[in-house]
Amino acid sequence: MIQDIIISVFIVLGGVFGLVGSFGLVKLQDAMQRLHAPTKATTLGLGGVLIGSMIYFALVDGHFSFHELLITLFLFITAPITAHFMAQTYLRMHRDEADLPPSGRPVGWSIYQDPPDFSADD
Amino acid sequence: MSEISLLPIIAILPFVGALMPGIVIRAGRNACAAFTAAPTLLALVMLGTLAPSVYDGTVYTTHFSWIPQLGLEASFFLDGLGLMFACMILGVGLLITLYARFYLSGDDPMGQFYTYLLLFQGAMLGITLSDNILLLLVFWELTSLSSFLLIGYWKHLPEGRQGARMALTVTGAGGLAMIGGMLILGDIVGSYNLTDILAAGDQIKASEWYLPALILILLGAFTKSAQFPFHFWLPHAMAAPTPVSAYLHSATMVKAGVFLMARMWPALAGTSEWFYIVATIGLITMVLGAVIALFKDDLKALLAFSTVSHLGLLTMLLGFGTKAAAVAAVFHILNHLTFKAALFMSAGIVDHEAKTRDIKQLGGLRKLMPITATIATITALSMAGIPLFNGFVSKEMMLEEATHTVWWENPWIVPALATLGAVFSVAYSLRFIFHTFDGPVRDDYPAKPHDPPFGMYASPAFLAIFVVILGLFPGIADGIVGMAASAVIGETVHPHLALWHGFKPALYMSIVAIVVGIVLLLLHRPLDAAWLAAPRPEAKRLFDDLIRGVVGLTRRVNDVLHNGALSRYLAIFCASTVAIGYLAYSGGGLLPATREMLPTPPLAIVAWALMVLATILVVVLHRTRFAALIAISVIGLVISIGFVYLSAPDLALTQISVETVTIMLLLLALHFLPKETPVESSIGKRRLDGLIAIGSGLGIGALAYAFMMRDFSSISGYHLANSYEGGGGTNVVNVILVDFRGYDTYGEIIVLGIAGLAIYALMETLLSGPAGARLRNSGYNNDRSHDRHPLMMVIAARLMLPIAGVVGIYIFLRGHNEPGGGFVAGLVISIALLIQYMASGFAWTTRRQRMEYHGLIGFGVVIAGLTGLGAILAGTPFLTSWFTYIHLPPIEEFEFATAALFDLGVFLCVLGAVMLMLYSLSRLARHSGETVNTEPMDYDPSKAPTFFEDGYRTEEEGR
Repeated sequence: MIQDIIISVFIVLGGVFGLVGSFGLVKLQDAMQRLHAPTKATTLGLGGVLIGSMIYFALVDGHFSFHELLITLFLFITAPITAHFMAQTYLRMHRDEADLPPSGRPVGWSIYQDPPDFSADD
Repeated sequence: MSEISLLPIIAILPFVGALMPGIVIRAGRNACAAFTAAPTLLALVMLGTLAPSVYDGTVYTTHFSWIPQLGLEASFFLDGLGLMFACMILGVGLLITLYARFYLSGDDPMGQFYTYLLLFQGAMLGITLSDNILLLLVFWELTSLSSFLLIGYWKHLPEGRQGARMALTVTGAGGLAMIGGMLILGDIVGSYNLTDILAAGDQIKASEWYLPALILILLGAFTKSAQFPFHFWLPHAMAAPTPVSAYLHSATMVKAGVFLMARMWPALAGTSEWFYIVATIGLITMVLGAVIALFKDDLKALLAFSTVSHLGLLTMLLGFGTKAAAVAAVFHILNHLTFKAALFMSAGIVDHEAKTRDIKQLGGLRKLMPITATIATITALSMAGIPLFNGFVSKEMMLEEATHTVWWENPWIVPALATLGAVFSVAYSLRFIFHTFDGPVRDDYPAKPHDPPFGMYASPAFLAIFVVILGLFPGIADGIVGMAASAVIGETVHPHLALWHGFKPALYMSIVAIVVGIVLLLLHRPLDAAWLAAPRPEAKRLFDDLIRGVVGLTRRVNDVLHNGALSRYLAIFCASTVAIGYLAYSGGGLLPATREMLPTPPLAIVAWALMVLATILVVVLHRTRFAALIAISVIGLVISIGFVYLSAPDLALTQISVETVTIMLLLLALHFLPKETPVESSIGKRRLDGLIAIGSGLGIGALAYAFMMRDFSSISGYHLANSYEGGGGTNVVNVILVDFRGYDTYGEIIVLGIAGLAIYALMETLLSGPAGARLRNSGYNNDRSHDRHPLMMVIAARLMLPIAGVVGIYIFLRGHNEPGGGFVAGLVISIALLIQYMASGFAWTTRRQRMEYHGLIGFGVVIAGLTGLGAILAGTPFLTSWFTYIHLPPIEEFEFATAALFDLGVFLCVLGAVMLMLYSLSRLARHSGETVNTEPMDYDPSKAPTFFEDGYRTEEEGR
């Protein structure tokens, strides 16, 4: 009974964050803001469901399940890359180099300027 | 009848021999000719060992089952007729080999020539030895094909190519008709074996299908034997080198039609239909050919029309349907061979030495090339039917038979026309002699003529000796003619061939022919002028017009159906499928449903709704291509989920991998295409397309629904029951793929490989065409990120590659018993590599890859094929899998199945095809101006000098 409640809490929590993420996607104004919303769904939302699933297998089925850890690992790898690409695309399509603050380095932002050539130093 | 295994060896010898000349030509022309003669000689010797018993009436047979379901057997038989023809084909083949050695110049590829010659010889030999009429048809078509190669041997001559095409078209079309006739014949008799068919003559003639079968078979024979109105191809085939003409038009190709009529004689001849069709056509051809021949100035054209005429004579004799006429036909086949082959070769010698074969430019060669003149005179006199030469004897027999023939209650017409033919025959033969060899020596020959070396005139001289011997003592041919004629007629005959038949009408007709023939020759000049002035139908122009008309017609039909627009093909396909489906439904009705509707959980409804929505979105968004692609990917995902839901993990795994690869490649491809699809079709057309789409969608839906609501038996039960027992795997899907339906899979991986290669090849054309120019000018660099290979992606991809590799191998290895297999594994590895390529760029990644993708495809197909062949070595059918359980001490007992090797082939093929497609796209990118990266990532911090917080760079201080 208690384990059922614990599992349910995590699943419901995950669902809530999923809903929040989706709602944010609709509600927020431009792409840079919207980038934030799905991260809630992928990290907290899915995280809740995964934790619930792990507890279920550990307590009810009586064995430890690794799948959820793997899923988490893959999420951790893919989510930042996806976000990175989306942000890059947005900047490239809708913003100019002048809109951004200086990079603080001898070279400019990578999406607007070619990478510096280091080969001469080697 | 007695069984003997020598026959198939004889039949196969020329084909095996055909492999040699192409190789041996490197050892020289003499060696090449010798290696061509060897299989011919060997086959001739083998026949010789059988000849005595065939002479005594033995019929040899051999039966091999080939495709028994079709009635096709590789069965051969040898009787008198077959023996005579086979000896003719091989004997003359030998003479032609010798002659061609000297005739062909150093520039002609002799290896090719002899290869074609042996192929043709094998095909002809096959016709004469086949017992199964379907096998005979195979050889029949082979003669058409190989003669095409021979006639078009001088590829640089337009006449050669056109003549070859014409011959192939006419004889090929006749062959098609004959297939129909033979099938009917086989149907009437209930067997495709010639021996059965020949024995069932009465049954065939009584059948209501007799006439159609007869006409179709005769169409085949007439086209091959150049009978009117199909005679026109033969003169145009004269563009071939003379050895080819001598071989094809004396002993072989054109005699195939005569042979067939003789072969089928017991089964088909003797009816009034046979008489009126065959004898009439033969008579017309004989007279027409002889008349035209007189007015031809080209030596070979003269001989060609004379051949047409003599073939008409043979056809007519066979058409008479009497035994005596059949005997005469057999004897004349032999005589025609001897003098016509020699004449062609003589004409070739004249052409070779004088560099022209135009009679009007020749004359007086008797003094310059006496040997050739002697040979040509002897053989041409035989062709004319002058006494003391063999042509006379058989021509008299023909005239004798003509006098006994009543045509439509008229006893005069056939003898009169036969005499007319003989008159012209005498005239053109004498013209051949006198206008070429007689008269004053000229000084304007294109080259100085002289007798050729012995090797070149040996063959015609050899034949000329036969002409004389047979002419003086025709009785010595009694035996062989009797043997062949008995086989034709189907009962034993003992002919008595003699020079002198007494004072009979035939003798008077011969005398008339010779006298009038000489008169015609004397009057040749005015007659020729009149002939040239008269309007004549030009067969080649008519033929070309016909071909042009047919091509135009098919083009018009094709332009409507196949206009290059994929949407039209799809519309035709979908609409007709729906129509057929509706027809079947309205005709057959529907059994009542036997199953209950399953409960529909809300999850399924949500997924279904999502898919419908995505589908509608594709239609709405399809002009914005990227958006449509996203909607398509949604559909793919829902389908994958659907497979999981319906407990098909294998399909889900495959589907999701396929989706991933497809979307990735499509994304890359879309990069080079316009971002939007323009509106190209009218609103009416789009409405119609929509209607067709909805109709076919509903149709498929209804069909699926109807099927799922009913119990039906399928092969699935068998697969489920036998998967472990027969295939050694518990994953039924995989066992089906690699075992039960391994043949299908084998075909599919080949198709996949071809698709990959085709994309690669098409890219080649694309880049060199106008599309390539557009790409080059497309201004690729305009709007894109300068950070093409971001650090984060590169590092992540590198981390993922080994993991994905392990997953791929794991999926591959467990495939036989758990969800997985070579196909999915190939896709998984492809995806891993695709990510790697996308992260670090094509150039950098491909430099780290040691294997050509083309090679992967090739290895895949070879490995799969060899695995399948291994089964044959083990004595089981192709692709039967074998499995065992192996116990190696440190690891658990595991199963090894040959199917896994086959799966490895599938794996390699899939991987190669996908990567080749990626490679093609990458070529496209580079062509459009994308620069190649040499580093794995655009900005590699580890290689950069250290930056301090103020952006100050220590190393730069010194500069």
